[in-house]
Amino acid sequence: MFLDAVILVLQEIVEAALLISVLLVLTRLLRQLWPTDFNLGNFWLITSALLGLIGSWIYARLIPTISLWFDYVGLEVVNAFIQTCIVVLLLMLCYSLTRERLKKYPQLSKLTGIFITLVVSLGIIREVSEIIIYVAGITSQPENFAPVMMGSFIALGIGTSGGILLFYFLLSLPSLWALRSCMLLLALFTGNMASQACLLLTQADWLPYTPELWNSSSLLPEYTVPGQLLYALIGYEATPSILQFGCYAVAAFLILISPLFKIIWFSKKRSVNSLDNYEI
Amino acid sequence: MMNNMKLIIKFIAITFAVSCYTLSLGANQEFEIVIQDHLFFPSMLELPAEQKIRLLIINQDPTAEEFESYELNREKVIPGNSRTVIFVGPLSPGEYPFFGEFYPRTAQGMIIVK
Repeated sequence: MFLDAVILVLQEIVEAALLISVLLVLTRLLRQLWPTDFNLGNFWLITSALLGLIGSWIYARLIPTISLWFDYVGLEVVNAFIQTCIVVLLLMLCYSLTRERLKKYPQLSKLTGIFITLVVSLGIIREVSEIIIYVAGITSQPENFAPVMMGSFIALGIGTSGGILLFYFLLSLPSLWALRSCMLLLALFTGNMASQACLLLTQADWLPYTPELWNSSSLLPEYTVPGQLLYALIGYEATPSILQFGCYAVAAFLILISPLFKIIWFSKKRSVNSLDNYEI
Repeated sequence: MMNNMKLIIKFIAITFAVSCYTLSLGANQEFEIVIQDHLFFPSMLELPAEQKIRLLIINQDPTAEEFESYELNREKVIPGNSRTVIFVGPLSPGEYPFFGEFYPRTAQGMIIVK
């Protein structure tokens, strides 16, 4: 029971931990890139953690009702809606944020903070609500309480450590490459969210079946540690459908052609500090 | 940029058209799986190949379970004393294991597609 709890909770936590790390590095380096215009602090981390935890508890309480909606596929539809919201918010972030706009609309920093807070809160709600349902159910048997709680806390520790590791790894890179890596990971994360939303709507029969594009389950099964890590980081699927891959590609591509991505990726300067006057 | 946007709009339009067509197709065959005492009944389910299937899963336990199958590419939480629906297929002939992620040691089953 202990090991089951570690695996299950870790699977849910690692995705949110990695996303938070990427956004922390991104906002930190953007503050260095545009020191006079971009003044978003790290308040969003606490706000989104609080909103996410409260939202998770409420969502977990509502899941029994939601799952009855739309002829028993309500859970897929609502989860797909949450993931689509995350995709739209990340697109809005990458399309609204340029230095020119920051100069013109000083409140854009705050708006960026709201986008990021909502993205992280929704991500936490989606993942942590499942942990709450699992823990609430399984600890109703008293003999499970100690191993499950211990396993959950250990998983929380491992997941957080993974996030911290990624945070310091990104910061150890030359600052421009760290920014580029963040944007690339953000594009892949957005693709992953779109792909997951598509999969959920296919499972609910709201989107059509399309044949699988490839089957790499013999090379890298999803249930292995590298498979799970790649799933959390870039949305790896061993058997994606054509439609899933299409949604992934479109969402990631939209980030790749966004103004923020272009500013960061196509600069030839080595350090963000030397980019102060760089504009798209 | 405009060409990219046109491509994306085309992709969305084609997806929408295919969705409407597929959703207009006839009803799916329904099969039932019951969860009781953290076990699946039946634990071995035979399904027809190349057909879309509506799996009705009834959880008779007071605690939630998560139906999961890497081979079917499906995952869904089923609250306690509740029922849910998962659409699978059309599937090729073969074996598709599934398990309950909350109680993986006992809740295990297999879908055999013929």
